[in-house]
Amino acid sequence: MALRQTGILDRDLTLDEVLEKFPEFPRLVAIKIDAQRRGVRYSDRALTVFNPQIHQVRGAALFGSRDDQLTPLPESLLLRDGTTLLTDPTPAELNPYVVDYLGDKLVLLDGDKVIEEVEYWPKPSFYDKLTSKGKPMEFVVTARPQRLQIMPSSYCHFWENDNGCKYCDIVNHLKHQRTGLGVHPRLNPQEVGEVVGEALKQPGRYSSITLTAGSDTRGVEPFDEEVNYYIKLLQAIGQYFNTPKFPSQLIATAFNEKQLERLYNETGVMSYTADIEVLNERLFDWICPGKAEWIGYQEWKNRLVRAVGIFGKGNVNTGIVSGVELARPYGFTKEEDALKATLEEAEDLAEKGVSTVYMVWIPRPQSEFHDQHNASLEYYVRLATGLDSIRRKYSLGIDFDDYRRCGNHPDGDLSRIW
Amino acid sequence: MAVVWEQKVVELINNKDSVKVLATLDGDGVPHTAVKQSLHVDQEGRIVYLELLESSRTFENITRSLWHDQYVSVTVKGDESSYKIKGKPTRIHICGTLFEEHYIAVRERLGDVDLAAVCVIEPEEVRNQTYRERLTLQEAGQPFYVHLDRLANTVHTVEFSE
Repeated sequence: MALRQTGILDRDLTLDEVLEKFPEFPRLVAIKIDAQRRGVRYSDRALTVFNPQIHQVRGAALFGSRDDQLTPLPESLLLRDGTTLLTDPTPAELNPYVVDYLGDKLVLLDGDKVIEEVEYWPKPSFYDKLTSKGKPMEFVVTARPQRLQIMPSSYCHFWENDNGCKYCDIVNHLKHQRTGLGVHPRLNPQEVGEVVGEALKQPGRYSSITLTAGSDTRGVEPFDEEVNYYIKLLQAIGQYFNTPKFPSQLIATAFNEKQLERLYNETGVMSYTADIEVLNERLFDWICPGKAEWIGYQEWKNRLVRAVGIFGKGNVNTGIVSGVELARPYGFTKEEDALKATLEEAEDLAEKGVSTVYMVWIPRPQSEFHDQHNASLEYYVRLATGLDSIRRKYSLGIDFDDYRRCGNHPDGDLSRIW
Repeated sequence: MAVVWEQKVVELINNKDSVKVLATLDGDGVPHTAVKQSLHVDQEGRIVYLELLESSRTFENITRSLWHDQYVSVTVKGDESSYKIKGKPTRIHICGTLFEEHYIAVRERLGDVDLAAVCVIEPEEVRNQTYRERLTLQEAGQPFYVHLDRLANTVHTVEFSE
């Protein structure tokens, strides 16, 4: 529990204090977590060495950033160990780290203190090209340092009766991007395939493809439309590979067994993620009312377990938006209790072959939880250690969602050394 | 602290015929050694090696060493000399221009192989491990480190009298 919450300290432990308390925890992973928690601000000096010809400019995204802007700033950063740091531009009043250029190095600053060297993400070579229909390829497929990312639909049908997840801004951000960038809400599968084919011409640039979108409840059985769309997309992408399966991840709704079997058997997809978002039924019902309405907490877990039988152990996981379990007014009031409950549920899933990974919760301006705060650094360090320990205990690999193929899960980064 | 390289050592490391071994420690402190013929000194005087296997024990250990500021060691041996270089991993490139240049080059050289990372080691100490060199230094600095029979006269000229 953060000492602030015990009343021993009137503030959370700092980065140095956390590292002193947990000396075995990798410093770079702790920095990654803290930069995700607090966000970053780019100094004018840092932007003088940002070159859009060689560095990746932030573009289309599923979710908005803390500054609620679409200005052409750096997409994000890399650390010295090759770790992807997924963080976003954040207003100064929220106390972000500062990215600055000192001497001949790009660095992360906390106040005046140099914390660590960083690099901008390299720009994908396909970003300058147009599809055969004349659309900028960067609006069809985006990239992380080693992954192609496809967000085929930025609309989530849970929002139709105001049952979107309370930490999420997907539909509001879609409206923002549609007017600001001209991003289309639904992609054409053949066009997606075309961009993937172009991206694969850059040797060594990508090691995985991820598809993720908002939930689509429509169909003969709920979510059949979403499944059909993913199958079309994955088949269009598959045409550009000479193997029936290719390293890939589908992050989607928790589908039923028939839908999962179709996805696995009819496409080249190799792994499956259905984000449960919060590992507590009471909080799930409150925070994710659309998921609760259409599927339900226990059934979501059951579907994850059934997916292991189809995709195989080590190829199925679930993500949590860590910190929302502490959201006011119904969340846990003590970090210690939240940690215990989360790890117990994660272990229950791990026993059945399902991994849990976390993302640091970012209270986004266009989400219902916009005025709340995420958890302490100490909490996230302990959660990362706990989830990693569970995976070790049950020999659950996380290759498809690790530091290289995703980069957004600090707990997954720890699997690099086992 | 960066080392000042002797040209002959750089040439030895960069010679493809030299034998090059990278020693790392695992999480239990157990040494792990592996031949890494891609080890070379780059233009900035850093040691670079290409990790072809994401799953390799060396790569795990290099990552751990970078995370915890630990040393690794490189041994290089040619026909007549041998050196050990102690250093710390400072950077692991898994993407970007440098990575992609090596990715293309290594595939041109070795065929259909993959490249997991380009690892950079900052050298801190170079030690000449050539036997003759070490022996000369030992004889000069540690005269007790010798078996007496090696110093004994082989022709006995002392006469004993009662």
